Amino acid sequence: MEGGGGAPQDQSQPAQQQPPQKVVEKLNSEVQRQLNLESVKTRAVSLSKAISRILEEFDVIARSNAVPKWQDVLGQFSMVNLELFKIVEDTKKMSKAFVVHPKNVNAENATILPVMLSSKLLPEMEIDDNSKREQLLHGMQNLPITSQLDKLKARIDMIGAACESAEKVIADTRKAYGLDTRQRLTTLPTLDKAQAAKIQEQENLLRAAVNHGEGLRLPADQRLITSALPMHLIDVLAVSDGFQTYVDASAMYSKNTPPMSSGNIGSNQGTPLQTSGAQLSGRSVPSPSVPTATSSLDNTTSPLSYANSPRSATNMTNAPSPQQQIQQQQLQLQQQQPRQKMMQTPQQQQLLAQQQFRQSSMQGLGQNQLPQLHDLQSQAQQKFQSLQGQHQMQFSQPLASQQFQGRQLPTGHIQHGIGQSQLNQGNQLTRHIGQFSAPANSALFTAAQSASNASMISNMPATMASQSIHSRMQFALTGGNAQRTHASQILSDQMFSMGTANASNLMSMQQQPPPLPPQQGGSQGAFGNLTQNTQNLQPNMAAALQNSSQHHPNFQQRQQNQQ
Amino acid sequence: MSSRLESTFHECVVQGIIETQHVEALEILLQGLCGVHRERLRIHELCLKSSPNLGNGTSEFWLVSDLEQPEPTWTVRHIGGAMRGAGADQISVLVRSVAESRVSKNALRLFYALGYRLDHELLRVGFSFHFQRGAQITVTVSSVNKMLKLHAIDEAVPVTPGIQLVEVTAPASGENYTEVVAAITSFCEHLAPLLHLSKPGVLTGVVPTAAAAAASLMSDGGGTIL
Repeated sequence: MEGGGGAPQDQSQPAQQQPPQKVVEKLNSEVQRQLNLESVKTRAVSLSKAISRILEEFDVIARSNAVPKWQDVLGQFSMVNLELFKIVEDTKKMSKAFVVHPKNVNAENATILPVMLSSKLLPEMEIDDNSKREQLLHGMQNLPITSQLDKLKARIDMIGAACESAEKVIADTRKAYGLDTRQRLTTLPTLDKAQAAKIQEQENLLRAAVNHGEGLRLPADQRLITSALPMHLIDVLAVSDGFQTYVDASAMYSKNTPPMSSGNIGSNQGTPLQTSGAQLSGRSVPSPSVPTATSSLDNTTSPLSYANSPRSATNMTNAPSPQQQIQQQQLQLQQQQPRQKMMQTPQQQQLLAQQQFRQSSMQGLGQNQLPQLHDLQSQAQQKFQSLQGQHQMQFSQPLASQQFQGRQLPTGHIQHGIGQSQLNQGNQLTRHIGQFSAPANSALFTAAQSASNASMISNMPATMASQSIHSRMQFALTGGNAQRTHASQILSDQMFSMGTANASNLMSMQQQPPPLPPQQGGSQGAFGNLTQNTQNLQPNMAAALQNSSQHHPNFQQRQQNQQ
Repeated sequence: MSSRLESTFHECVVQGIIETQHVEALEILLQGLCGVHRERLRIHELCLKSSPNLGNGTSEFWLVSDLEQPEPTWTVRHIGGAMRGAGADQISVLVRSVAESRVSKNALRLFYALGYRLDHELLRVGFSFHFQRGAQITVTVSSVNKMLKLHAIDEAVPVTPGIQLVEVTAPASGENYTEVVAAITSFCEHLAPLLHLSKPGVLTGVVPTAAAAAASLMSDGGGTIL
C-alpha cells in the first residue's frame, strides 16, 4: 500500500474507491523513501501477531485456571515491548507529515481513545518521578527557575570535573605500575646511587676473585691444614703432609717423639723418628723405613743435622756420594736422635727422607721435597734463631761439598755442624734446611723479617730460610761472629734461589751464579748475599770453613773432602 | 666440563652477575629457555702457579674437582691466551684457548712435586644447564666461595654474599668460533631482562629491570606474586 501509516492508507482507500475522479493520493516519493513504509508495515504486522498470541495464551490460562508462568509471560511482554518501541520510533519520523490516527471518535475507539491520549504516568512511575525531582531540586523549588537552572548546571560541572580527575589518576597509576602494556616503560626503575655503587663494588670483588684469584689467597700464616681435609683431598694430600704446614718449633725441640707438626697430616711423621732411632748402627743405613716412597723422604732429612755425632764425622770424611750423603745424613740424624735433645721433628725426618729419595743428581743432601721444605724451613728458621755460632761451620761444610742442584746440599752437613751446636738447643733449623717450599719459605721469611735487627744476625739464616731452609739453618747462627757471617753468606748464596722456595729455586740457583763476595764481618752484609749462587759459596765456604774449622775437626775434614 | 677425557679447544665465555635474590627467577627462565633440567654444581678449584724462577715465567694450571660426582673427579685445566685483534675487540665474547684433561687424584701431588704451589682456591656452589642451541652451551650460576682455612671446604664463605656469578661458555674450534659466538650472543639476549653478560673483566652492573622481571617470572600467572 502506498502512503504512510494509517492515515495515508485511509486516504488512499477512498481514493481508490473513486478512481475515475480522484487521483490516487500518493505520498511524496521522497517521503516514502524516508519512511521506509514497507519495513514499518512488516514490523507492525509481526507486532500485531505477537500481541494476538499473547492474548490467546492468556485466554487459555484463564480457561484452564492454571497459574500462568510469569517468567514466560514476562518474556513475551518484553519482546513485544521492544518491537513496539522500534516501530514507534520509525513512525515518529512520518508522524510530522500526517495527522493523528484515528481521526474521528467513533464507536470503536471511543473507549480506548482516552487511554491512548493519556500522558499520565503509571502510579509507581509517578511516585518515583516525584521523589527524584524532589531530591534534585531540594531547597531550590522556591527559587526562580533560572537560578534553579544555574545551580543544576553548577552541580553537573562539578561532577564532570570530579570524573575527569579520577580518570587522570587512574591513568597515571596505571603507567607508574607498568600496567600499561601497550607501550614500553619510558622510565625504568633506577637504582639509587648508593646501591649501585655498592653493587659495583661487590661485582669488582667477585670478578677479581674468579678471574684473578684476588682476595682468595690465604696469608702465609693461614696456610695450615688445621681442619680436617675434605673427602676428595684426604688421600691426595696424605703423603705430602707438611706441604703447607708450618712446624711449631717449640714442639720440635722438646720431645723425642715430637707431635706431628700442626697440619702434618700424614702418618709418616711418626715413623721416621722411630725408625731412625733403630738405624743408628751403620752409616749407610738406608733411610728410615718409610711406608711409601714419598714418605721415606720424610725420614731422612732431620737426622742429618747433628754434625757433632761421631757418625757425622765419619760421614763427613767420606767422599760424598749423593746416596751416601743422604744416607749419612739419615744416619746421623738417626744417631743423633737418641742422644739428644735434638728433637727431630717429624718434618726433619721427612726432610731427610726426602733428601734421600730425591737424590737423582743432587750431590749431597739437598734433595728434599719441596713440600717438605716448607716444614723444614719453618723449623729451620726457628731453630736457626736459637743456634749459635757453630752452625756456621756446619753450613759451610755442606755447602762446599754440595753442588746445589737444590738446596739440599747443605742439609746433611749442616746438620752435622748444627748438630754440634745444637745439641744444647734442640734440633732446629739446620736440619730442615733441605725443606724448601714456597709457603714455608715465605712464612719463614716473613717470620725472619719480623725479628728484630739485633737478632737479625742470628736470625739471618732464619730470614733466609724463607728461601731455603737449608742454608738458613746453617747460617742462622746467632750472634754476629765472623764465621757466622761467612756462613750466612754462604747461606745466602745458597738461598738465592730459595726465594720462592720451589724446586725451581734450586734450578735457578744453579743458573745464576752471581758472585758472592765473601764477607767476614757484618752479618748484615750476609743478607745482601742471600741471592747468590751456590757456586760462589764454595770459595766462600772455603773461607768460612777455614774460619770455623777451629771448632770442628769434622768440619775440617769435610773441607778437605769436599774441596 | 668437557665430556671427553682430554681436549683442547677454544672456549667462548661471557660472565655476568646477578643478585642472589633473583637467582630463582633466573633458574626458571633458564629452564624455560633450555628445556633441560638443571644440574647441581659443586666444584673445588685450585689454582697452581709455578715460580717465576723456573725459567720460563710463571705458568698457571687449574685443578678442578667436581664434588657432585659420587667419586670426585679431577680435571686439570690450562687457560691459554685470549684471542686478540680487531675482531676480538668487536665481539662481546671472550675466546680463549683451553686445554683440559681428566687426571687422577695424584695430580695435586705431582704439581707440588714439580714445583707448583697453591696460589688460591675457591669453591663454586650452584647449578648449571647444558644444552644445544646453535652450539653446545653451558650456563653456570654459582656462588663463589672462599675458604678461610686451607682446604676447609665445609667452612667456605661466599666472596660476595649478595651476588652470584653467571657464566655462559661454549667450546669452539678455530674455524667455527664465529658461529659459536653468535649462538652465545643470541642466547644472552634472552637473558637481558635479568642480567647483562660481558667478557670477563668488563663490568656490567645489575640490570634495572631485574626486579620486575624476576617478579613476573616468579608469579604464578597473576595469582600470587612472590
